[in-house]
Amino acid sequence: MSRRSTCLLFAALAGLVAAAPRSQDLLAKAPPQDRPVLLKNAVLHTVTGGVVLGGSLWFEHGRIGQVLPADTAPTLPTGVEPLVLDLAGKHVFPGLVSACTTLGLVEIGAVRQTNDLREVGETSPEATAAVALNPDSTAIPVARSNGVLTAGVFPDGGLLPGRASVIRLDGWTNADMTVRGAAGPVVAWPADSRSRRSRRGPDRGEAERSGDGDGDSATRKARRRIDDAFTAARAWLDARTADPTVALDVRHEALVDALRGEVPVFLLADEQEQIESAVRWATSRQLRAVVVGGRDAEACATLLRERNVPVIVNGVHRLPRRDDSAYDEAFTLPARLAAQGVRFCIGTGSDFSNDRNLPYHAATAAAFGLDRQRALRAITQDAAEILGVGDRLGSLAPGKEATLFVADGHPFDLTTHIELAFVQGRQVDLRNKQTELAEKYRERYRQLRGR
Amino acid sequence: MRVRIAVAVAFLTTCGLAQTPPHNGPRPVDPGWHALTGAHVVLAPGRTVDDVTVVLRNGRIAAVDGGAVPAGATVIDCTGLWIYPGLIDAFVPTDVPALDPGATDRHWNPMIQPQRNALDGALVPADERAALRRLGFTTVACVPTGGILKGTSCVVQLDEPTATEPVGILRRAAYRLASLQTRRDGYPDSEMGAIALLRQTLADAEWYARCRATPGAAPRPQAALQALVDQQDLPLWFDVQDELQALRALRIAAEFRQQPVLVGSGMEFRRLAALAAAKAPIVVPLNLPETPDVSTAAAAERVSLRQLQSWEQAPTNSKRLLDAGIDIAWTTARLKDKKDLRARIRDAMHCGVTAEQALALLTTRPASLLGIGDQAGSLAAGKLANLVVATGELFAEGTEIRDVWVGGVRHEITPVEDRGLDGTWNWSTGRPTAGAEQALLTIDGDKVRCKVGDDELKATAVDREPDSVAFRLAGAALGADGVHWLRLYREGDDLAGVRTAPDGQDVAVRAQRAAASGDERTAGERAERGPPPSLDPLPTPLGGYGFVTPPAATEFVVAHATLWPCDGRGVIRGGSVYVRGGRIVYAGPDSGLPEVPDGVPVIDATGKHLTPGLIDCHSHTGISRGVNESGEAVTAEVRIEDVLDPDDVNWYRQLAGGVTTVNQLHGSANAIGGQSCTTKVRYGVQNPDDMHLAGAPAGIKWALGENPRRANSSGYNSRYPNTRMGVEALIRDRLAAATAYQREQSAYASLPPAERARRQPPRPDLELEALAEVLAGTRRIHCHSYRQDEIFMLCQIAREHGIRIGTFQHVLEGYKVADAIAENAIGASSFSDWWAYKFEVYDAIPDNGALMFEAGVCVSFNSDSNEHARRLNTEAGKAVKYGGLPPAEALCFVTRNPAIQLGIADRTGSLATGRDADLALWSDDPLSYAARCERTWVDGRLLFSLDDDRNARAAIARERQRLLQRAAAAPKGKSSRDDDTKDAYWAAEDLTEDYCCRDCAGGAR
Repeated sequence: MSRRSTCLLFAALAGLVAAAPRSQDLLAKAPPQDRPVLLKNAVLHTVTGGVVLGGSLWFEHGRIGQVLPADTAPTLPTGVEPLVLDLAGKHVFPGLVSACTTLGLVEIGAVRQTNDLREVGETSPEATAAVALNPDSTAIPVARSNGVLTAGVFPDGGLLPGRASVIRLDGWTNADMTVRGAAGPVVAWPADSRSRRSRRGPDRGEAERSGDGDGDSATRKARRRIDDAFTAARAWLDARTADPTVALDVRHEALVDALRGEVPVFLLADEQEQIESAVRWATSRQLRAVVVGGRDAEACATLLRERNVPVIVNGVHRLPRRDDSAYDEAFTLPARLAAQGVRFCIGTGSDFSNDRNLPYHAATAAAFGLDRQRALRAITQDAAEILGVGDRLGSLAPGKEATLFVADGHPFDLTTHIELAFVQGRQVDLRNKQTELAEKYRERYRQLRGR
Repeated sequence: MRVRIAVAVAFLTTCGLAQTPPHNGPRPVDPGWHALTGAHVVLAPGRTVDDVTVVLRNGRIAAVDGGAVPAGATVIDCTGLWIYPGLIDAFVPTDVPALDPGATDRHWNPMIQPQRNALDGALVPADERAALRRLGFTTVACVPTGGILKGTSCVVQLDEPTATEPVGILRRAAYRLASLQTRRDGYPDSEMGAIALLRQTLADAEWYARCRATPGAAPRPQAALQALVDQQDLPLWFDVQDELQALRALRIAAEFRQQPVLVGSGMEFRRLAALAAAKAPIVVPLNLPETPDVSTAAAAERVSLRQLQSWEQAPTNSKRLLDAGIDIAWTTARLKDKKDLRARIRDAMHCGVTAEQALALLTTRPASLLGIGDQAGSLAAGKLANLVVATGELFAEGTEIRDVWVGGVRHEITPVEDRGLDGTWNWSTGRPTAGAEQALLTIDGDKVRCKVGDDELKATAVDREPDSVAFRLAGAALGADGVHWLRLYREGDDLAGVRTAPDGQDVAVRAQRAAASGDERTAGERAERGPPPSLDPLPTPLGGYGFVTPPAATEFVVAHATLWPCDGRGVIRGGSVYVRGGRIVYAGPDSGLPEVPDGVPVIDATGKHLTPGLIDCHSHTGISRGVNESGEAVTAEVRIEDVLDPDDVNWYRQLAGGVTTVNQLHGSANAIGGQSCTTKVRYGVQNPDDMHLAGAPAGIKWALGENPRRANSSGYNSRYPNTRMGVEALIRDRLAAATAYQREQSAYASLPPAERARRQPPRPDLELEALAEVLAGTRRIHCHSYRQDEIFMLCQIAREHGIRIGTFQHVLEGYKVADAIAENAIGASSFSDWWAYKFEVYDAIPDNGALMFEAGVCVSFNSDSNEHARRLNTEAGKAVKYGGLPPAEALCFVTRNPAIQLGIADRTGSLATGRDADLALWSDDPLSYAARCERTWVDGRLLFSLDDDRNARAAIARERQRLLQRAAAAPKGKSSRDDDTKDAYWAAEDLTEDYCCRDCAGGAR
C-alpha cells in the first residue's frame, strides 16, 4: 500500500469518528474485525520474540496470524481483501496490561454512589470484579488512549475482598470485555499490626481497623479467619463432590478454582514478614500464590524464587517506606527483583484514573537499573502471565489476540503518541472525554479570537 | 541580720494569719529550734564546709557557722551525714479548675485563661507532696494545666498544712505559662492556629493596656486581657513538646518582647545551636525515651535511625545544653515515675554533668528562675530552713536521704533502719580460751544459727522477744561439751547478755552487728550503664541524611552541559554555568564562559543536562501538626512559616528530585485559609526560619468548592459555608471587613499624636491585617479551585476589589475560562493529569496546562504530594505530550513560571547572571523518564549528590546496626509505640506510606 493510501485510510477512520457523539462514553464500541489487517514496515516490539525492524504482522478474526521479519512476504488468508497499513517509522507494541487496578468499578473516587469496590463483611470472595464493570466508564477510554488495553481489576476491602477479573478495554457488555472473569481470589493478608502507622494500602489488616487492643493476636486472628475460609471451602467442596445435593454456598464456591490450583490467590502484602507468612501459608495449602504490592519482596527473594511465586510490583512511583530508606527504594525495586531472579510485573499502584501512566512506572524502573526490554515485558507479557492470560495476551506472537497498538515512539517516552489501537483485532477509538473536552474548549478560544 | 529574719518570718506567717482559725483548746507551742551538728554541709553548689552547726529557728536558718550550739536548741547529731539545700522544682503541673463557661467577661476562646492562678487549685496533693519530699524537694512552682494561656504559677513550700497553718507560699505569681496546645473540636485544631491565637491575644493585651492608659473611651473590662496587663512584668514560660516548638515559642516571645523561659522536652540536643543562639533559659525534664522495640527482626526494621539516635543521645541532653552555655534547670515534670529522678540524674552525670552542676540545676538555677534566690536554693542565715540530710553525696549511688526539712519542719524520709535483733552478729563467745576464730550469730525471726570457726552449732528452744532472744546451743566449740543456755538483750546497737555454760558458770557475752556485704545492685547498675554516649556534634537534622557541617557555598563551574536556562533562550547545547558566592556569575554557551581563577573546580557535564532548581508551587511538605486550621472557616491569621518542620526527610527526597524551592501552603478546608510560606529547601540549617526565602512576596491560601464546603467529610456539616454560594458570600464579607479595618487603622494612624493619645486605638486583628494586605496587593492569593464557575466568581471579586489574584491552584477547569484567568491572575498552578478523584474534577483534562498556556496564562505544574514532588520534571514533560508545548516552555512549568507566580523570578527559576545558584544536574533530558537527578545545589551549596547519597546509605546501615545491637542489649526493651510517648519524641518520625496528600489533604482531616 502506498503512503497515500495509508493517509487515506487514517482519514477514513477519522471521518468515521468525527461523526460520533462528543464524549467517548457515549461513543460506539469498535465493531468486530471483518477483514484481515496487515501492518507493514513497522518496528515490531514483540516482547517475546525481540524487536523486528521493518517487520510485518497480520491478524484476522481477532488473532495474530504471522509476525514476520523485513522482506518476508506474509501468507495472508485468501477470500477477503485485507486492510494493509504501511507503518514506516512507526512502532507496534502489544497492548499494555495494567495488572492491578480498580478500572470500571469506580467512576469518581469521592462519590460513594459510583464506587463498587467493597462488599460488606471481611470475607466476600464471591464478589467478582467483572460482574460490576461499567463498560461506559469514562476512565476506560482514558487508560486506553495511552496503550493500556488489558487490565486486572481488583475488588478491595476486608480480608477476602473478592475475585479479580482480567478485562479488555473495549466492549459493549461486561461479557465482551471479560478475558477471565474469575482470575483468582484476592487475599488481603494482614500485616503485623505494629506497622499500623501505615494509612492505607493492602497491609491495612483487620487488626488495625478493628482497633483491637492486642495487635499481634488480632493479626493472628485475622490470618486464622482467612485460613478458616479456605478450610471450610475445601470441606464443602469435598462434601458436594461426594453428594451433589449439598447446598450451594457461593462463598465457598468462589474459592474452588483456587483450591484446585486453576487460578492463583492474589496475596496483598508489602512488608517482609507479611510476604513471608503469606507465601508460606498459601504454598503450604497448595495454593498458587501471587504477591501483590511487594515492597519488601527483595528481602524475600529466596523464598519467592524457590516457590516460584511472582510479584505484582504495585507502583514504582512510591515513597520510601522509612525515613532511613534510600530515596529511590521504590524506583529500584524492579531492578533488584530482576537481579535476584524473582518473577515480577509492574502495576501502577494507583487507582482507576491513573492507569494511563502505567508505562511511566516501567520507564522509571528502567531509568533506575532495570533492562529496558525487561521493563516493557513487565507491563505486557509478564503481567499477562501473572494474571493467568499469558497464553492469549501480552506479546506479538502468532495465535495471540490481536490486542496491540501503533505509536510514533516508545511508550516509555513522554513525547510518544499512540496512533492506532486494536483490541481483539477491532480498531478502537483513541479519543475520550478528555480529548473531546480539549477540542470543545479549543473551539471556545477560536471563537474568542475570531471576535 | 535579726531584722531580716524577723521580716522574713513575718512574710511567711502573715500569708496564713488572716485565715488562721481559732485554736481548739490551749495553743500548742513548738519552739522550732534545732541545731544540726557534725555534718558535711553543702551551702550551695561548689561551696562545702565542715565543722559547722546549722541552726534552725522559726522556719529559717538562724546560722550556719562554727559557733557554739545555742542553748535551748534541740541538738540533732548529723555526724557522717551531708546537708544540702532543699531541692526546687520550678514546674509542677497541678489541677486548677477551668473558668466558668458562663462568665460574661470570659475570653471567647476557652484556651485563653490567663486570669487563673495555681493557688485557685488544690496545689500539690498530699501523696505527691510526700513523693517530692522523698526525692529531696522542699519548694516547687505549681502551674495550672490546660489551654494556651494557662494562667500564673505560684511558688509553695512542700510542707504539710496543719489545722492552723496553711502551706507556705513564697510567691503568689512567679511566671505566666503558655503552650501551643490544640483542641479536637474547635479553634485552634492545629499548631499554627494555636500560635495565631496566642499572638492575637498578646497583641490584644498590648492594645488593651494602651486603651486603659488612654483617658476617655476605655474598652469594656475583659478579665483575660486585664490579667495579662497586670502580669506583664512576669516572665512568660512556654511548655513545649519538642525542640521545634521551643524555637517557635522563642519567636513569639521575641515578637512581643517577652522574657521567655522554656519548659523543654528533653530533646533539645537535636537543635542545640539554634537554641543556644536564642539564649533563653530552659527547664529540662529528665525523662528518657523508652528503648526502641527491637524484640523481633521486623520490629527492629521499623525503628528509624533518628529514633535510635534520639534514644542513645537523650542522656547527653543536659551536658550538651550546659556546654552550649544555655541556662538550664531540671524538673521532675514528664518523668513517668518520679522515683526515677535520681537514676536519670546519674545518667546525666555519667554523660559529664558534674555533681556541682547537678545540684545547681535543682537548687540555685530554679531558685533564680523563680525569683526566690534570696530565700531558697542555698544555705545561709536568713534563708528558709529547707534542707536535705543525706547519708552521702546527694546523687551518688547508694546515698539515702535521711531527712528533709521544709521551713524548719523535719520530715523523716529514711529513718535509721531498726532491724531489731535480726541480722548477723559478730560475737565474743566468752570462751575462756577465746582465740582469733570468728563467731557469727545469725538471727532471723525465731531461727537462730551459730557458727564458730568452721563449726555450725544448732540453736534450739529459741524464745524470741522483741528486744531479746534466748536459746540453747550444744557443742564443744564453745569450750565445754554440753548444752549452753544463752540470753541476749539489745543494748544500744549491740547485743549483750549471758551464756550459762554446761558447768553452770555464767559468762558475759557481747555481739556487734556484722558489716553488710557490698551493694550488689549498685555494681549491677554500673555494669549496665556501659560507656557514655559520644558527645561529638550531631547531624542536623538528626537522622541518616543530616549534615554535621552544612555544605559551604563554593565556587565552581559546570561545563559542557545541555543548559535549560528557562529565560527564553531555549535549550543551549554545550553550555556552562559559573557559580560564586551562592550566585550564578555566568550561564550560557561554553564559548562565553569568563575567565575562571585557577583551582576553581570544573565539573565536566558532557552528556548531562543542567536546569534551574525546580520549584513546587503547591507543597505541604514539612508542616508540623496540622496542614489545615479547620476550627474556623476564615483563618487568614495562621501562618505556615510558624510551623515549618525542617526535619522532614521529604525535603531530602525532593532535593533528590531536583527541587530547590517550594510554596508551602495551608490546606483547603477554609474559604480563606492561612498564610503561605515560600521556602528554599535548605536542608540541614539549624534554625527553621533560615529556610524561609527572605524577601519573597507574602501569600495566602484560599479555597473554593467542595473542600471549604466540607462536602467530602463524613457527617453533618454545621460550619458555614455549605455551598459555593456561601463561599462567595463569606469571601465578600471578609473583604468588606478588611476594607473597614484598613480604613479605621489608617484613620487612626493619620491623626496628630496629641489626638491619638486621647483616642482609643483600633484593635489589631491579625486576620483582617492579612486580608488588608491582600487588598493592598502585597499578599498574593493562592486559591484552590476546580470548577469554572468558582474560578469565574473569584475573578469577579478580584476585579471588584481591584486586586490581582496570585495563582489559581489545581484549577482543573481552568481551560474553560483561561481568558478570565489570564486577565485576573498572575498564573495558574495545576496538576499535570490528575482527575476523577472527586466530582468537581470529573472534567479535568491533561491538556489543561497547554490550553491555559495558549490563552496567555502563566502556567505551572505542582505536586501537592511528597511523592509527586520528586518527579516534577516529568510532570512538566506531560505538557509536551498533552498539548504539544515546546520542551523548553514545558520545563518552565516547574521553574520560571512558578517563580513568576511566587514573585521570586529575580531570585530563582532560571539560569541567569545574578540569580541564586539553585541548580539541578540530570543524567538525561529532564523531561524524560530516563533522567535521574545527579546533583542539586541550593544557593550554591551542594545539598544532594548521588555520591553523597551512596555514602549516607552506607553510614546509615552501619550506624543502624550498631544502635540496634545496643538497643537489644539494653535492659527492658520496651516498645516505644505508645501513642503518648510517640508525640514527644518521634514527632518527626513516621513510616511514610504511599499516602497521597494531593488535593491539599482534602477537605477531610
